[in-house]
Amino acid sequence: MDFATLVGLISGAGLLLWAALSKESIGTFFDVPSIAIVLGGAFAATLVSLPIQKVKIAISVVKKAFTTKADSPVDLINTLVGFAEVARRDGILALEEAAKDLDDPFLVKGLQLAVDGADPELIAEIMNTELENQLDRHLVGKTIFATLGKYAPAFGMIGTLVGLVILLKNLDDPDKIGPSMAIALITTLYGAIASNLVFLPIADKLGLRSKEERFVKNIIIQGVMAIQSGDNPRIVEQKLKIFLAPDSRELVGKEAE
Amino acid sequence: MIKVTRLNKKEFVLNAELIKFVEETPDTIITLTTQEKVVVRESVDEVVTRAIEYKRMTHNTL
Repeated sequence: MDFATLVGLISGAGLLLWAALSKESIGTFFDVPSIAIVLGGAFAATLVSLPIQKVKIAISVVKKAFTTKADSPVDLINTLVGFAEVARRDGILALEEAAKDLDDPFLVKGLQLAVDGADPELIAEIMNTELENQLDRHLVGKTIFATLGKYAPAFGMIGTLVGLVILLKNLDDPDKIGPSMAIALITTLYGAIASNLVFLPIADKLGLRSKEERFVKNIIIQGVMAIQSGDNPRIVEQKLKIFLAPDSRELVGKEAE
Repeated sequence: MIKVTRLNKKEFVLNAELIKFVEETPDTIITLTTQEKVVVRESVDEVVTRAIEYKRMTHNTL
């Protein structure tokens, strides 16, 4: 569970509510038709902008914003060094057995390619293509949220215009001008909040997740290539430690002991 | 030209003139002069024997 997302959303919403409610009651800020215009409009526009297959992918990818990545790079490097040791002791074919217990399909694929006797350049090529395709799929989630974030304020403005049209139509009743204006502005408020507190930050988080994935998968590719080339496990460890920040490097190997 | 077998049991012919190292890791890894590495099922001794055989055959045409 990625608490940052949850804590951020709750505290952000909480602070906004507290600030708003310190002066007025909740009724002033709550207007259902406004919610409908902003959210309904944003979702509708997003649906229009995306092909239907992408929408299905998006729903599964969205969960990523709320879940943390299970693999830490340090654990991954320890695993790969362990495999290098197995390969040096029992030969590369022994990795086929070890690979069966793994969760990560990318790593399994890499080891399978090594066991099948593909040469390192070919493995790198296949794995890189796989990596790019996986990231493209994940990027769809980010695109959807970015699109939602783009359209929400716009639909907020549309709601405001609707409200103003209504207001100007009823100018003969001066008592209604103030409240109508308030309602008109509420849609812009909702649009801005939806975009800046929810949609765009989630889009950014998904983008970061993609970067993390690329990083982790690069480590896997380098590791598999090193194992395939018959590198000594200490050398594999050195090659992979380069990916880590200097203070993290000391953690490699310590947990294995 | 020596016949060797990849890990996936496919046989192929390797240009013995390109061999730089043959190492046991314990799988036999042949490093070529092109820096490419090839993993084969035959043992190091077997690879050496076949290479010598090949050389003997090509030189015996005198």
